[in-house]
Amino acid sequence: MSSEVFNNLEQDSALRASIDRSLRHPVMFFLTSGAAWLAVSIILGVISSAKVHSPGFLDGFGFLTYGRTQAAHLNALIYGWGFQAAFGVIVWMLSRLSRQECRAAGMILTAGHIWNLGVSVGIIGILAGFGTGMPWMEFPSFCWPVLLLSYFAIVVWSLVQFKVRPEGHVYISQWYLMAAMIWFPWVFITANVLLHMMPGNPVMAAGINAWYKSSLIFLFFTPVALGTAFYLVPKVSGRPIHSYSLAQLGFWSLAVIMPWAGMQKLTGAPIPYFLPYLGATATILFFVPAFTAAVNILRTAMTDPEVVNNSPTLRFTMAGVVGLIVMAVAAVFLNIPGKTMEFSQFSMSVYGFEILAIYAFFSFVMFGAIYFIVPRVTRREWLSRRLIKMHFFFSIYGIVSIAVIAIFGGVQQGIGQEAFDQPWLEAALRAYPYAVFITIAWCFILFSNIFFFMHLTVMWLRLGRRSTHPTLLVSGHHGSPHGEEGDIDNCGSGTASAH
Amino acid sequence: MSFRTFILSLSASFGVAWLAIVIVPYFKMRSLEPVAVEEGDGTNAVYIPKRAGRIADGAEVYAANGCYMCHSQLIRPTYAGNDMFRPDWGGIAGDEDRGDTRRETNAFDFEGEDFAHIGISRLGSDLSNLARRIETDYAKGGNSEQWLFGHLYNPRWEAKRRDSTCPSFRFLFNVTEIKGNPSDNALPFPVEEGMEITPKPEARALVSYLLSLKKDQPVPTSFNFAPPTAAAPTAP
Repeated sequence: MSSEVFNNLEQDSALRASIDRSLRHPVMFFLTSGAAWLAVSIILGVISSAKVHSPGFLDGFGFLTYGRTQAAHLNALIYGWGFQAAFGVIVWMLSRLSRQECRAAGMILTAGHIWNLGVSVGIIGILAGFGTGMPWMEFPSFCWPVLLLSYFAIVVWSLVQFKVRPEGHVYISQWYLMAAMIWFPWVFITANVLLHMMPGNPVMAAGINAWYKSSLIFLFFTPVALGTAFYLVPKVSGRPIHSYSLAQLGFWSLAVIMPWAGMQKLTGAPIPYFLPYLGATATILFFVPAFTAAVNILRTAMTDPEVVNNSPTLRFTMAGVVGLIVMAVAAVFLNIPGKTMEFSQFSMSVYGFEILAIYAFFSFVMFGAIYFIVPRVTRREWLSRRLIKMHFFFSIYGIVSIAVIAIFGGVQQGIGQEAFDQPWLEAALRAYPYAVFITIAWCFILFSNIFFFMHLTVMWLRLGRRSTHPTLLVSGHHGSPHGEEGDIDNCGSGTASAH
Repeated sequence: MSFRTFILSLSASFGVAWLAIVIVPYFKMRSLEPVAVEEGDGTNAVYIPKRAGRIADGAEVYAANGCYMCHSQLIRPTYAGNDMFRPDWGGIAGDEDRGDTRRETNAFDFEGEDFAHIGISRLGSDLSNLARRIETDYAKGGNSEQWLFGHLYNPRWEAKRRDSTCPSFRFLFNVTEIKGNPSDNALPFPVEEGMEITPKPEARALVSYLLSLKKDQPVPTSFNFAPPTAAAPTAP
């Protein structure tokens, strides 16, 4: 009996090691180039944010004008960092969960390069003055088929793996990730075909664009991050999910509610009246899928707070889940028609909410996943817990500032805009102090991500620690700053016992 | 749950919303029904929105330079915001000839554009009625086009606008040698001797587009929500 169990464990870790090895290059490519795009996006974010309060900063160059850098900043954040981090996590996690080695690593890697090419051309296109002017779809119109085809070439293998997996239970993370993989092309094709190829009423086109933005947040970034969190937390803490039926409720409420969201950004525009109200209702109801998932994940993790504190993976993931709760509260607070909607509709709280969703929630969970995945696929441990702590705290300071300032500053700005008996300049000047603080906060985030990018690149070059002890964030000043030494891994590449 | 049921449920939950808020409204609004100017007056006159200028290529310059990042083009009805109450946003509250011309944005207002630049933030003012505002206030009695060129070149040149955070669009202008007489559109800003600042074609297209933003024309009675007293200009 005991030898059989031992044998199964051996086989099991051998299988996991072979899956990790088969995906090393595509996964590391996505994560590292994603982190590089994140750095590019943050630099553009600092530049454009500085221009909001100091219009003379880097003034007079066409490619650095605010309207172009801000668009490039958001598009680099979404398509350069967000999607690539998601790809890295999706291909790895679905391979692990389907218990299948990846047989198309070369194809995925090639498609990943094409995706990067598409994003690069798009960003250069925006900066060179060929942007389309549709928020989040500013890439010149020839870019989207390139992105779409490379997207299919990246994710289709995960679906194939799922089809040929050994029979057995389908885990909640698989539902979330596969749903995101199906929703995204549906939303992407709809928006791009309608807006680029079948021009209709211009106002309704703006409505479709608002729906597209909202759908990317709620039907791609949110399910990817939730699926990842539902994988990481039980895995690291070693405990099953607190309530599996609650998890399913959370998933289906997301699937039913969130496709309706988005058009509240056109409240008062000449489109059918029910669209903005439906959008506002659905966005407010985001708290249902968000809270069910967040409570479930927190209950699972908080059975052992010390693990959460010590594990870089769990610390980032939990911060992301807190980000999700704040995001859900903000979705309720900012979207009440007739109460707060008129303040938030055209203020910087729009940007604040987007950054909250993409950075405070999605990116933090992705950082957690990266701290988990990279040591497994490179078979090296993270070099330094100080670098990880720097990344964590500066990101937290930065993102809390941006979210709080942009959302509350946005509402303050909105109150100024609505004060119709005051000159417009009063409303415009209200944004000034908040804009200054947003610039400072982006500098914090830039600082933290320089450390992250360096650390990740070193790991990609396989210069990490050769140890069987994971790098934990234990406190205290004794010993090496790099964590325990542990046993040196001398087993040679790919041996099962190293895992 | 099998994979098949999963895909079907997912398609159903997404598909209903997709049809109801994206596909059907989009195709219903692709060709708007003609609207009678005055219902029941027996003339069958149809409302034709009037707009002149280089709208298509001007809108491209507007989009490419991200003007929509800070400027909206939407006058919301009073249930959704206070835009209508500002004296010069939806129209001119005290128009010398027509009385109060303020009105909300309607579905015909973006005639000639592929995408309505509703905007995402109001770091700057709403531009729905910019051209009328320039005529009656900013460049009163002067040349609107020339005022806009100057404003794009340096948004802070007027003392009362020194706090503006609008970026300068100097890169849409050329500094060229004067050959013969100075150009008509040369800007009155200091520049080296023998040189002049003239707008590039992009700047001309953009200004032509911005001068087409006069969304205060009279609208058909069916969507004219102005109170009756405001609709009729007071006789002198």
